[in-house]
Amino acid sequence: MTGEKKLSYYLNKETELDDQTYEKKIRIALLGSFTLNGLAETLRVMCAEKKIQCTTYVGGYNQYNQEILSTDSNLYKFSPDISFLLIDSRTILGDLFYYPYSMSKEERKKFVDKKIDEIQKLIQAFEKKTNSKLVITNFSIPTFSTHGIIETKTDYGQRQMITELNNRLANMFSNSNSIFIYDFNNFVSKYGEKNVFDDKQFLFGDMKISLDYIPYLANDLLSYIIGYLGISKKCIVIDLDNTLWGGIVGEDGFNGINLGPEPSGNAYMEFQRVLLSLYQRGIILAINSKNNYEDAIKVIKEHPYMILREDHLASLRINWNDKISNMKEIANELNIGLDSIVFFDDDPVNREYMKINLPQVLTVDLPKDPSKYAEVIKSMNEFSVLNITSEDRQRGRMYTEQRKRNELEKSTPDLERFLKQLDLKISIKNANEFTIPRISQLTLKTNQFNLTTKRYQEADIKKFSQDQNYMVGCAQVEDKFGDNGITGVFIIHKENPKEWFIDTFLLSCRVMGREVEKGILGYILNKARESGVERIKAQFIPSQKNKPIEDFLPSCGFQKEGDLWVYSIKTPFVIPECLTVRVE
Amino acid sequence: MSKRLYDLIARVMNVPPSSINDEASPTSIESWTSFKGYVLLSELETEFNVKFTLEEAMDAKKVADIKRYLNNHGVTLHD
Repeated sequence: MTGEKKLSYYLNKETELDDQTYEKKIRIALLGSFTLNGLAETLRVMCAEKKIQCTTYVGGYNQYNQEILSTDSNLYKFSPDISFLLIDSRTILGDLFYYPYSMSKEERKKFVDKKIDEIQKLIQAFEKKTNSKLVITNFSIPTFSTHGIIETKTDYGQRQMITELNNRLANMFSNSNSIFIYDFNNFVSKYGEKNVFDDKQFLFGDMKISLDYIPYLANDLLSYIIGYLGISKKCIVIDLDNTLWGGIVGEDGFNGINLGPEPSGNAYMEFQRVLLSLYQRGIILAINSKNNYEDAIKVIKEHPYMILREDHLASLRINWNDKISNMKEIANELNIGLDSIVFFDDDPVNREYMKINLPQVLTVDLPKDPSKYAEVIKSMNEFSVLNITSEDRQRGRMYTEQRKRNELEKSTPDLERFLKQLDLKISIKNANEFTIPRISQLTLKTNQFNLTTKRYQEADIKKFSQDQNYMVGCAQVEDKFGDNGITGVFIIHKENPKEWFIDTFLLSCRVMGREVEKGILGYILNKARESGVERIKAQFIPSQKNKPIEDFLPSCGFQKEGDLWVYSIKTPFVIPECLTVRVE
Repeated sequence: MSKRLYDLIARVMNVPPSSINDEASPTSIESWTSFKGYVLLSELETEFNVKFTLEEAMDAKKVADIKRYLNNHGVTLHD
């Protein structure tokens, strides 16, 4: 958040941290090439404020090489979850920091190669000895150059050298799940070299980062802890009047609200742009506003300068109900915890009300000036994750599509008509290198609509798919609102030419209740009939969670025979009319 | 104005303002470690919008010294 507290606040607060234990725990090691006083204390307090119990280990002054290379060092005895390694440009460059042009261009290049090699070896040693994640800072590029205004014309000059170091560092670990590069150079750009570095403090106490900026640095490093613990926020719930636009639409009217390219309406557009960029990254957006629905939705749908449209919003609570019950409904509808929600509202009274009643929700204190809204959200580290999957990127879209389905279902009293309107298309796919990871994931994760709850790793699925006696497939489900992705899986054991056995049959809860299962089963039964099979056998293995599939087999015409359910193939199975099934 | 200074020192050192006077120093205030001394100078600079010289930073031994240095930079503290 904007405006950080003073370092003394954290130092004093740290002495007051009681022995209260929190469920979330983290062990942090700090290693550096310079004095790190105050950083560990600040991190511990920041963690405690988020109900995280943080234990820290601070390595000896400039001892990071020894700590990492020696197997029985205190670092490894401490057994950290995340280790931060902070090396400053002065240390890595040595004399070249001051005299970059005491060497030829070729020598400078060799120097960079050597340093990269050293770092790589150091990190390899680290990775061999511990499971801790490692966050290494990159190097800040000094603004001063002895070449002055022609530094930019200097071939492989000092700035280019450090840029190269930073790029190679980033590339080296871009695919690693355990090594992360903290963009310290970006941190210095953000707050300014003159602020982050203070020569007097450096000369006086070897403090390479000015004490005022330790809390800002700690706040950035906290992002990794949030990501590691998986407590990042998933959803932003936003008010409308004076938050997404200026003015009150109920009073000022569609044309009277303040939203557009001119000041100060552009401040709201700027805020909306940041929200949209977060949506594109997978943050879910929802509305909680006291308003006439018709007035507000008209703005969302039709106002020429709205950036956020209905399609970006996973849940709309625009009504005169109180904001607390709206908030609870949003969490329920989206099936997320209140503790993964961030709330933006311009009204301090609403905010206070939310904080008191739903303290789990992170209610952000918006400044009075809307031109600061964008900055507030940009400075939050609560959305930090350690990786972004393609599913994450599509999350916002999938939730919005789900809302539209729910709305259609509510407005269509008759299920059959609703399903017809949904225009469901099922694509049956074979197991192949693209689908196998998802097939395995579904067998591992699906609990409710799962006939046998057999869990299979990727290697198992691969084996089945290569075996002539097995048929492994999956189903991708699309409807008029969008693509649900691969959401159904079946594994059939061809026991003999006349009898097949359903080893696995499951459907993700995302597409339950839409007759999709009958489409997939129809495909299997018809395929069996074409192959001359006479009987399909299946087994229902009850678990604590798979009650929803209990009646599936009898409802499709399977007859009980001892422990098994059997379907005699005489006539083709009729696939419900609302479905289109095609085979890829 | 001295109160503003004493309050700040007390806050940084995490002691009651009453324990701060011109003679207060690392010897009399237990929490006044050398690191806290750096933090104090840094926060004084922000609070009073001044920049101490390196010599001043090195020589600040007690509250009276700080008062004198603040005075050097045009900050007058009336009792």
